[in-house]
Amino acid sequence: MSHEIDITGLSKSFGQGAAAFQALKEIDLTITSGEFFTLLGPSGCGKTTLLRIIAGFELPSTGTVRINGRDVTSLGPSKRPVNTVFQSYALFPHMSLSENIGFGLKMLGKPKAEIRATVDEMLQLVRLEAMADRRPSEISGGQQQRVALARALAPRPRVLLLDEPLSALDLKLRKEMQSELKRLQSETGITFVFVTHDQEEALTMSDRIAVMSAGQILQLGAPQEIYNTPVNRFVADFIGDTNFLKLRVKAVDAGMAVLELPGGKAAQASLPDGMRPATGALVTAVIRPEQAEATGADEGDLHATVESATFFGTDTHLHLTLADAQGFVLRRQNRPGQPVPAPQSRLGLALAPGALRVLED
Amino acid sequence: MARSRFSITRLPGFGLIAVLTFVMLYLPIIILVVFSFNAGVSQSRWDGFSLQWYQAAFNNAQVRDVSLRSLWLAVTAASIATMLATLAALGTTRVGRFPGQTMIYALINQPLMVPEIVTGIALLIFVAAIKVQTGYTGMGYLVAAHTAFCIPFAYLPIRARLETLDNALEAAAADLYASPIQAFRYITLPLMVPGILAGFMLGFVISLDTVVITEFVKSAGQDTLPTYMLGQLRRTVTPEMNAIATLFLALSLIVVTAFFLITRTRGR
Ligand SMILES: Nc1ncnc2c1ncn2[C@@H]1O[C@H](COP(=O)(O)OP(=O)(O)OP(=O)(O)O)[C@@H](O)[C@H]1O
Ligand SMILES: [Mg+2]
Repeated sequence: MSHEIDITGLSKSFGQGAAAFQALKEIDLTITSGEFFTLLGPSGCGKTTLLRIIAGFELPSTGTVRINGRDVTSLGPSKRPVNTVFQSYALFPHMSLSENIGFGLKMLGKPKAEIRATVDEMLQLVRLEAMADRRPSEISGGQQQRVALARALAPRPRVLLLDEPLSALDLKLRKEMQSELKRLQSETGITFVFVTHDQEEALTMSDRIAVMSAGQILQLGAPQEIYNTPVNRFVADFIGDTNFLKLRVKAVDAGMAVLELPGGKAAQASLPDGMRPATGALVTAVIRPEQAEATGADEGDLHATVESATFFGTDTHLHLTLADAQGFVLRRQNRPGQPVPAPQSRLGLALAPGALRVLED
Repeated sequence: MARSRFSITRLPGFGLIAVLTFVMLYLPIIILVVFSFNAGVSQSRWDGFSLQWYQAAFNNAQVRDVSLRSLWLAVTAASIATMLATLAALGTTRVGRFPGQTMIYALINQPLMVPEIVTGIALLIFVAAIKVQTGYTGMGYLVAAHTAFCIPFAYLPIRARLETLDNALEAAAADLYASPIQAFRYITLPLMVPGILAGFMLGFVISLDTVVITEFVKSAGQDTLPTYMLGQLRRTVTPEMNAIATLFLALSLIVVTAFFLITRTRGR
């Protein structure tokens, strides 16, 4: 696997002096050829800024950007083998779909016959052959999105940058386009750098995800890795739902801690690398809502009182209170005939082995 | 609910004021047009239908002369003004903010703020001085004065058009390997065309229409249609003047209608 994009020591500040705002802080990042790479983070964390620097619309304050080994930091967007799918699509309103898709090749000075062949191929790829001569204003939002994609793919860039390309679409179309994007990416083998603030979208589509917050990359890894072993509280909170419990340490041994649970029982929890809390210290432990199971009232590791239940179709969320008044959400898959526990009823919780993890705050 | 909402149409006297306003706006013009078809010379007594005054106007060499001069001047001044206004609009919208931007906006729009008679007198003095110095008495003065006067009228629709254009379009062109010149040639310029056409037509109508500026700047034998008509009216008024005015009105209506049709489709 070769390096497609190498970003080293990248910072970006907007404004001068005291009013300066650091949008990106010392980012180091390597994106591999042919991968579906996602930048995920809350609004304002610097995703678009990073993408604009990769595309060449913005100069970094410090650091370098290399594409396929070549330093492109000071090159303009027209000199980089990178194309962008804009959030607003930015289709040229006075051109037909064919002309839109062929624009990049025309600017590269390709012969007419080659442009026509590629445009036809792209139209077929995004399934819009029948609409080649329409204007962008004469097609639907989802179709416009596909044209934007085809236009960016037509010059065969090494890298395709996509800034929240699905955020304007309704849920159903969004799901369709998600699989369409995955299909296009595997068919073309082009490296995708995809920006989203939707964690579910990131988890389902990506080969790797970089979770960003306040101009920094907090964690970088495969979706399973980020979901199962978040490195800190922010990542755990941002990706999926999580129960945070304040628990006391009873013993520590080789990357594992024994924690005292509300109600008096004990459970093993993994410790993050390099963390060795003292016996008796209070630590934050996390467990996903689906990684515990309801048991009889006097069985299990924890005892809880039901506060309320929320029905979600495939599953039900039970909002519980533990013996020491900490809250806990349990996600239980729905089965036919299974009764929903009444408020104030009591139940036990069995934690899945390995599910409890200590996190640094 | 809807009944209790304030509605200006239910105020006392609304209908009367509306009718009076429209009567004031259009009745004089309708009378002017009607009497251009009068068989007699009267402006108040109908003597039957005739096209004789139109015939007279068409056969009047002087009318033909000043009409052609008016058209030539309007096309020339509006063309130059549109070119300059296009550059000005690009220079005030497609750049980062710079100090004095608002100032420049105000300066470009001088003719909208300075009373026309003041501009006219200033031009009279200024042009007279140049005429004495150079001896040149050609159409150049009128072209220059009309051009300057037309610039803001051309500038406003072009600027408005540019402001509605998504900056991301030019970014997308650059992303697709277009040089700055290519991005302008293939993206910005074609999308500006409706604004440019609208600007040209507004400038054209303004130049065709202006009396004051022309009156003060023109040399002997440089009458335009409006100044010629003004001169004729000082003598006798025959329905020939009605016929000329009606034709002039028709031309203006055609241009203004075209302007509306073009600006209406600008969203596309
Ligand atoms: N041109 C600019 N001048 C000043 N500040 C800017 C500029 N562009 C971005 N910023 C700031 O930099 C930060 C990061 O912006 P960016 O657009 O990269 O966020 P984002 O992660 O893409 O957010 P969103 O999910 O809302 O699109 C924001 O706080 C923003 O206000
Ligand atoms: Mg953004």
